[in-house]
Amino acid sequence: MTTVGQLVFSGILIGSIYALMSVGLTLVFGVLRVVNFAHGEFLMLAMYGAWAITRFLGLNPYIAIVAVVPAMFLFGMLVHRLMISPALDKPHLVVVFATMGLSILMQNVALMLMSADLFDVPPLLGGRSWTFGPLYAKPELVIGFLVAVACTVALQWMIKSTYLGKAIRATVQDGEAAQLMGIPVPRIFLITFAGGSALVGLAACIMTPLFSVFPTVGLNFVLIAFVVVVLGGMGSIEGALLGGICIGVVQSLSSYYIAPAYGQMFFFILFLLVMIFRPTGLLGQKGTANIGIND
Amino acid sequence: MRTALKYFAFAAAALALLANRPAEAQQPIKIGVLLPLTGPFAKNGIENWEAMQIARDMINEQGGVNGRKIEFVHGDATSPTAAISEAERIITREGIKVTTGSFASPLAIATSQASERHGVFHWEATGAAEIITRRGFKHTFQVGAASYRYSQAAVDFTNDVLAQKLGKPAANLRIALLWENRAFGKSVGDGVRDYMKTKGLTLVYDEGYDQFATDMTPIVQKLKDVKPDVLIAISFPNDAILFQRKAKELDFNVAAFIGVSAGYSSPDLRDSIGTMVNGIFVSDFPPRVNQNVLKPEVRKVADEFYKRYETKMKRPPAGHASAGFSAIWALFTEVFPKAKSFEPAELREIALKLDLPPGSLVNGSGIKFTNNDWPQDPKDAGQNLRASIGIWQWQKDGNNQVFPQTLATHEPVTVPLPGWDKR
Repeated sequence: MTTVGQLVFSGILIGSIYALMSVGLTLVFGVLRVVNFAHGEFLMLAMYGAWAITRFLGLNPYIAIVAVVPAMFLFGMLVHRLMISPALDKPHLVVVFATMGLSILMQNVALMLMSADLFDVPPLLGGRSWTFGPLYAKPELVIGFLVAVACTVALQWMIKSTYLGKAIRATVQDGEAAQLMGIPVPRIFLITFAGGSALVGLAACIMTPLFSVFPTVGLNFVLIAFVVVVLGGMGSIEGALLGGICIGVVQSLSSYYIAPAYGQMFFFILFLLVMIFRPTGLLGQKGTANIGIND
Repeated sequence: MRTALKYFAFAAAALALLANRPAEAQQPIKIGVLLPLTGPFAKNGIENWEAMQIARDMINEQGGVNGRKIEFVHGDATSPTAAISEAERIITREGIKVTTGSFASPLAIATSQASERHGVFHWEATGAAEIITRRGFKHTFQVGAASYRYSQAAVDFTNDVLAQKLGKPAANLRIALLWENRAFGKSVGDGVRDYMKTKGLTLVYDEGYDQFATDMTPIVQKLKDVKPDVLIAISFPNDAILFQRKAKELDFNVAAFIGVSAGYSSPDLRDSIGTMVNGIFVSDFPPRVNQNVLKPEVRKVADEFYKRYETKMKRPPAGHASAGFSAIWALFTEVFPKAKSFEPAELREIALKLDLPPGSLVNGSGIKFTNNDWPQDPKDAGQNLRASIGIWQWQKDGNNQVFPQTLATHEPVTVPLPGWDKR
């Protein structure tokens, strides 16, 4: 019983980390429909940032959020200006290849500058766990879970209730009409893309105490991020949280009861099943594939 | 007049030839060194390159090999494809007849293939895959230990030392085997399983995992339920770190932990997980062996090597760097001095005749190559059956050799391993 409890508990916690790392992609891929294959490399870059601040300034990685998030926002703006914006009115494949190229470029630049070494920050509480009855969890994971939930709620509110959120939705649903209504469409695109990048920065600061940083660290996560976004329902923010947690739990249970080598296989099976029986994703609405976001 | 000119020309030519001879004797011996100095293997590649450069400097300071200096031509073998193109570049452009390298098995497999195709002599210092010597190549020699020996060292150590330390008959030990499911992990894992059978030991847990796994909870939880006494794990650095952290998080304790090579032997592991490394055993090339096993003249070479390496790199060499030095030093002092033409066929004859007892090289190795005459695998040629391998331990004062007895510099400590709060 304790075993199942621990597996589900750990699955939920790691799943919320997957969700947090995917929230930025929900905004960029789920809402804007920009397929950003360099999402994992954005994460890698931000993790190096969080690591460097912790290592050289002796600060807590969570304090690094105040520097990394704005820096990633600016980086997102830069990438949008130079690469995404010029490609937006071209066929979809152009963006795909442009971001894939960016991904390879960023990996190799990191390899040149940082070498293939792994970098780590010291864990909180010297790596000891919190115990919840018979269950164990690292404080970093619990903090990650709380941040993921808070982030989901805040983003959901932003999209549903603020002017910016409404403008984003309007832009995605019908760009021309939005422009006619006086919404500055190009700027909305820019802000949304940069916002997605800033959220990756937030996720990176939460993940740096949990995972080593190295040039290809993004590859370990980017596939999960895309699955989370589609599984939860394109453009659905609470769907991403649910999708992430589902993947975490399925991976945890199947690795234990079947074989660890097949953990990934089972969450892809889950993914296929959801796509067959509920093509809009767990919390997606019919038609969001065209209009980009839940109403 | 004409004849006079002819004679003059003859005399001039003869003089030129004569004058040329000593110059030719002074010409350096060029060796192609294929090591990754950039890319994902760069860290270890650079360490190996430094070790080999120390060997070159030491031999050149002694006046070289029969008066000829050694010169390295470097090829940047960042990946198997790069290893092949770089090997071909230095062989065809620079006329290299001897290559060495290559740190990692996939690079060694690629480099030796390119060298063999061009009929070049390849002296592999560290690549461990068994296939390196099983492709029927004529000029490839694997000086470091083959991968199955990592498995055997781990099992022998469990059988001969840990069982007694843990106060149990070896057959009653609960042994767990965890392996990353790509080429290296799988082949070492297979080796452990097979060799354990011959020793009458049994496994209570045997699972492979993907080295890119992001969550180790299921693995650690299962191990916790199985309660092994000894865990043998074959891992890469990232998954080794994730595993150790998860073990601490879930409070999984095991009486003895043996890691195999890359993930656990990297000197950076202590930077990553701090004092959590203390007590972990590692099956690997020995970084530094007991001086008593070395021949007196080898001891002097060893002292000089360790002194220079530590001055240059600010840390003692890892096992693969000592192996790199040992292999290339053997090439300079045992193979080259006997060579006249330096043609691959001649070097091959010399290598096959080598019969050096253990303790002849700095890392405790001897040399005796297979030549399709090894009863255990008659298809094997060029594998060094006397390459040293053993177990060292992460101890508070460094990485110390603890097994086998002949090579050991220290006693194994902290068996059983104390709980996480006491490490």
